[in-house]
Amino acid sequence: MLELQQVSKTIGDKQIVHDVSFSLDKGKSIGLIGPNGAGKSTLVKLISALEKPSSGCIHFFGEDVQKWSVKKLAQHIAVLSQDGLAPYPITVYDAVLMGRYPHLGFFQREGKKDHELVEDVLETTGLSEFRDQMLDTLSGGERQRVAIAKAMVQHPQLLILDEPTTFLDIGHQRQILNLVQSWQKREGLTVLMVLHDLNLAAQFCDELVLMNQGEIVNIGTSEQIIARETLQSVYQTDPEIIRHPKSNIPQILL
Amino acid sequence: MNKTSHVLWVWIPVFIVMLLAVMSLSVTLGAANISWQLVWQIIFSKIPGVSSWIDVSWESNIETIVWDLRLPRVILGAMVGAALALAGALYQGVLRNPLADPFILGVSSGASFGAALVIVLGVNVWWLGSFTLPAVAFLFGFLSLLIVYYLSRVNQKVRLETIILAGVVVQSFVGACLSLVLALSNEKLQTIVFWMMGSLALTEWDYNQMIFPIMIVISIVSLFFIKELNMLGLGEEAAHHSGVSVQRTRFILLVLASIITGAAVSVSGAIGFVGLVVPHIIRLLFGADYRVILPLSIIGGAIFLVGADAFARTIMAPRELPLGVITAFLGAPFFGYLLRRAKRGFF
Repeated sequence: MLELQQVSKTIGDKQIVHDVSFSLDKGKSIGLIGPNGAGKSTLVKLISALEKPSSGCIHFFGEDVQKWSVKKLAQHIAVLSQDGLAPYPITVYDAVLMGRYPHLGFFQREGKKDHELVEDVLETTGLSEFRDQMLDTLSGGERQRVAIAKAMVQHPQLLILDEPTTFLDIGHQRQILNLVQSWQKREGLTVLMVLHDLNLAAQFCDELVLMNQGEIVNIGTSEQIIARETLQSVYQTDPEIIRHPKSNIPQILL
Repeated sequence: MNKTSHVLWVWIPVFIVMLLAVMSLSVTLGAANISWQLVWQIIFSKIPGVSSWIDVSWESNIETIVWDLRLPRVILGAMVGAALALAGALYQGVLRNPLADPFILGVSSGASFGAALVIVLGVNVWWLGSFTLPAVAFLFGFLSLLIVYYLSRVNQKVRLETIILAGVVVQSFVGACLSLVLALSNEKLQTIVFWMMGSLALTEWDYNQMIFPIMIVISIVSLFFIKELNMLGLGEEAAHHSGVSVQRTRFILLVLASIITGAAVSVSGAIGFVGLVVPHIIRLLFGADYRVILPLSIIGGAIFLVGADAFARTIMAPRELPLGVITAFLGAPFFGYLLRRAKRGFF
């Protein structure tokens, strides 16, 4: 459903993303990994049309996303960013309801269906008890959960996660990723995530794309990517690889 | 019914009643003592259909004072207050900056400069007549906004920080031009200074007719952007990802805010503090939801300025104080009190 063809991005005379091509099938999850400055975040901005590629094209169901309106884009793609939602004093309910925005006309108000959907999502994300609380009184982890609820209400086909767990403790990290995973299973959602934590990436993604200096170094399953030689050349460090005792997925130790 | 509509159902009527009370009180104040019952009788006698029910039992000079002198001024005060508070609320929302006020992008400096030029040069464009001053002020104010926007546009995108900096640049440049005009204008100095400090003294019904349609249209149009304003509150990228076209929405809202600022400044001078403080007071009292902030700021701004004007012209009567002085004098302590009392950060 999502296809990148030879996408490059140059800012000034610096090439941030160079000749990136990969495709993502419906219902799959792909993890973008790589060291700082590898161009992951820029790539995400290109896919969500926050920025335009210098060359190459990004197709979504065969259509060029750069030609889409912001609204149409939001009907299909939701993004969960590192900073999440600003601590702005409006209620959780109102913030989640905003996810319906791309599906409403300019003069249209939210209808009964929209409100029902919000109720459902508050239930699934365990936010019902927070519904009347102001966003600025919530912790970072709770706010990130509100951001997920808002994205769910948006009903996208593709969910992009741009390091959504960076500022969270391990408990909240798991919680957020579990929410995403069960959502994916329930509705056949396609997920593209940028993760710094290689262990989480290995556990939660079907496929990993390893980037370095703006280029794709390797694409494969966690078995193929989470390997000593592969990581060593990119990260300039020598990690130990072990197996997760329950899932048998390769994990790294520093 | 949720909390927000509850707030609106209760407080909009309360605010409207307060506004009518302050307005009729303000009309009764002044050298000639006129009761508020009489004020309302005179107003109703002017309304077609109702007028036949009312006996005209007052002298015509009383009617002149109420209808031709005090009422236009009070209504203009309400309109200017509403305009400045709405502009302030819009600027604060769009620029995501608690210090934003209607003057932050140089609109008022531009308008003041235009007005000073008109006063000094004594120009009168024949087809504009007495509208020359407000029209030129408005035009200069709007030009300032366009220059700010032009300066802050990089790669077809405008960044927030750049807009505010460009506003500072334009404000100081136009401010310098204004000072130059002031320095060179000997005998007109006092007129300009008084105009700059803000006053409703030069009021005629004509001015009302000019600002009223602008105010109504802009208020209604801005109410259509409430959702977008709330979404910008969650961050610009978040708004983009939820389908708000950030650049376009921001441009439209800044133009709307600048038009009403220009209109208000052009008829009454640069009255400070209303646009900064009224939206903050509303936000502190009722929360940051723009469904509440916009309508209550509009009415609240009107109440605040009508009240301040009543103060300005009665407290040292017959001498009239500059309105800008009074707004800061009343507004600052009240705002300070609310800041101390507020339990949480308010932006």
